[in-house]
Amino acid sequence: MSFAILIDTTKCIGCRSCQVACKQWNGLPGEKTQIEGRSTAFQNPVSLSAKTLTMVTYKEIEDPNAPGGLRWVFAKRQCMHCDEPACASACPVTALHKTKDGPVIYDEKKCMGCRYCVWACPFGVPTADWDSLAPRIHKCTMCFNRTTSQPQLTELNGEALSAEAQKIFTSSFNQPACVKACTTGALKFGEREALLAEARERISSSPGKYVPHIFGEKEVGGTSVLYLSSVPFEKLGFRTDLGDRPYPYYSKIALEVVSPALMGLGGLLAAVYLLKQRKAEVLSSSEPEKKE
Amino acid sequence: MHYEIVKAEYFTKKVALLLALMAAGAGAFFLRFVFGLGDATNLSDNYPWGLWIVFDLVWIALAGGAFVTAGIVYVFMAEKFHPLARPAVWMGFLSYSFVVVTLLADLGLPWHFWQLGVQRPEHSAMYEVSWCIALYVTVLALEFAPTVFERFGWEKLRDLWRSLSPIYTVVALAFFVLLMSHKVWMAIVALLVFAVIAFITRASARHSGVPVILIIAAVGFSTMHQSSLGSLFLLMPDKLSHLWWSPLISLLFFLSAVASGIALIMLMSILISYFFNRPYNWDMLADLGKVLAGALFVYYGLRIGDVIVRGNLGLAFSGPDGARFLVEIIGGGLIPLVFLSSAGLRKNKNLLTASVVLSLFGIIFNRLNVVLLGMNLPGTSPGGVVGTYYPTAVEWALVISLIAALFFFFGLGVKLLPIMPAVGEVLKVDEKLSRAA
Repeated sequence: MSFAILIDTTKCIGCRSCQVACKQWNGLPGEKTQIEGRSTAFQNPVSLSAKTLTMVTYKEIEDPNAPGGLRWVFAKRQCMHCDEPACASACPVTALHKTKDGPVIYDEKKCMGCRYCVWACPFGVPTADWDSLAPRIHKCTMCFNRTTSQPQLTELNGEALSAEAQKIFTSSFNQPACVKACTTGALKFGEREALLAEARERISSSPGKYVPHIFGEKEVGGTSVLYLSSVPFEKLGFRTDLGDRPYPYYSKIALEVVSPALMGLGGLLAAVYLLKQRKAEVLSSSEPEKKE
Repeated sequence: MHYEIVKAEYFTKKVALLLALMAAGAGAFFLRFVFGLGDATNLSDNYPWGLWIVFDLVWIALAGGAFVTAGIVYVFMAEKFHPLARPAVWMGFLSYSFVVVTLLADLGLPWHFWQLGVQRPEHSAMYEVSWCIALYVTVLALEFAPTVFERFGWEKLRDLWRSLSPIYTVVALAFFVLLMSHKVWMAIVALLVFAVIAFITRASARHSGVPVILIIAAVGFSTMHQSSLGSLFLLMPDKLSHLWWSPLISLLFFLSAVASGIALIMLMSILISYFFNRPYNWDMLADLGKVLAGALFVYYGLRIGDVIVRGNLGLAFSGPDGARFLVEIIGGGLIPLVFLSSAGLRKNKNLLTASVVLSLFGIIFNRLNVVLLGMNLPGTSPGGVVGTYYPTAVEWALVISLIAALFFFFGLGVKLLPIMPAVGEVLKVDEKLSRAA
């Protein structure tokens, strides 16, 4: 059983509650920013950083049915929590790893700060804390510390809570901060297979509303964040050229070959040496005769 | 083979210049830790790797000269190149040590370095490279040890080295296999395989003075980390232009390290003669030029074939990526290959030197293209905003000072230790070979 987040971008109104909730839960400082203008519109800040683990993108697209022929499409962006993450396979000290529950998480106690994960991620997600003297990596953790613990609240303001109220509290706590803060139900946290089924159901029950594609179902081998969209994903600014093959595919092969190759090479070199040695012996034993 | 200590002034104007550059580098290293990585360098989330990584990749490729020379001399027993063996190992040992200095500066949290010793990642090329280089440096130190024993007349230590270094080497190789494969049975197989190799080649210690298992380990570890440095980029098929990215990039990195290693040793030999007023040995260099031609032919053959077979040749004729690719292939590969392929042209000192410099340029330019210039960076999510990266003064200063340090310590080494073959020795080898032929 692995968890995922379904992001239905058609329901997003760009309120950025998720952005604020993320900062609150993770205790991250604000950034000094400004509206950058045409290319990034109201997107603010412009990209993820060590201080901003999730953000909403704003794209204005042409739509003949919309008033004025233009409309906004929004998408919340954060770590995709790949099933086979490039970042985790890159990491030389397992500071990043995919948990069986779904989130890809980071352990700063292990990290050496080599930043190979930043290079490797096809989505450009991990960021380093460049202002710090100890630049650690920062990325969305799908609030694994909220979703894996099960806090029990038995009383509130000195009054005992009913069993019903306790259940509501636990279930509302037990999801990522962004999902909990979402005002329109654009974000949904749940079991990945169930969310995939629900996404398919949403596409089939409202013909024409969505493009028939769930981004993240197969991309780079599948991710634990799934997207629905009313416009082709390129128009949302997504990279659609990444393919379905998990990124660690090639490096996995290259590294599995290392041990057998080392032994094979050792044998080969030993054979060459013995051959050359024999040749030299033959040569030197025949040499004195030549001298005569 | 007899060696001598080069008699030259310890302190000259050139040495003073090197020391000044090294002092600047020490300052840069200090500033890096005072201001932190973000402020001291122009690295960013868009350019998380910069000049220092280019420098490491370039230097490790060139320092491949140490393992190539050791392999040619002790495994392939090409006796005529024996005079190059000790200087090559000394150069390699210094190079790898200084690469570690850059890494310490480049790592954000270098004090967590020890985590490499306790974590067991499954398929991390960075982990492979780290361990492989660490073990290779110990092998280089063992390869170099007899020079020190000889200098101080420590014969007992030399005998101890002769009997123990093969055991250490076999264990190191098996340990490495354990770390990479995560399989105890495979480590046991490796232990047996390398123990057998060490046993059947044990006579080598008597013949050449160096147990050949040590050289086999040097070549083995080098092959693995040179190729794994290429594997680092297997995770970036979406960013690196496919004129450089290839599923074969690991093999290409290894083959290019062989070529650039040979070229660097040739340059080293020329520079030693130049700086220390020693006789040039153009005949030997011309012969090594032939070996270089072979290495270049294999590397560029695969390189160009790979680009053609994967249907990317069209990219070579469009845009700045294509232009750089052509400069790399023609300037660094085809031109030196033409010069070096002809025995007549190899005899020409100037053409030979130019070929060496061009070969080095081609592979240095290759690493620069792979790490920075050939990268089509999408930018931090959601992407689109990528600036340009220019290294800061601190980044440049560290790199330049470490090159200065290589020259300084190399020179100091040959003035203190019997690294260079005795001047008459080179001629003696030639004579012996012509007699045998």
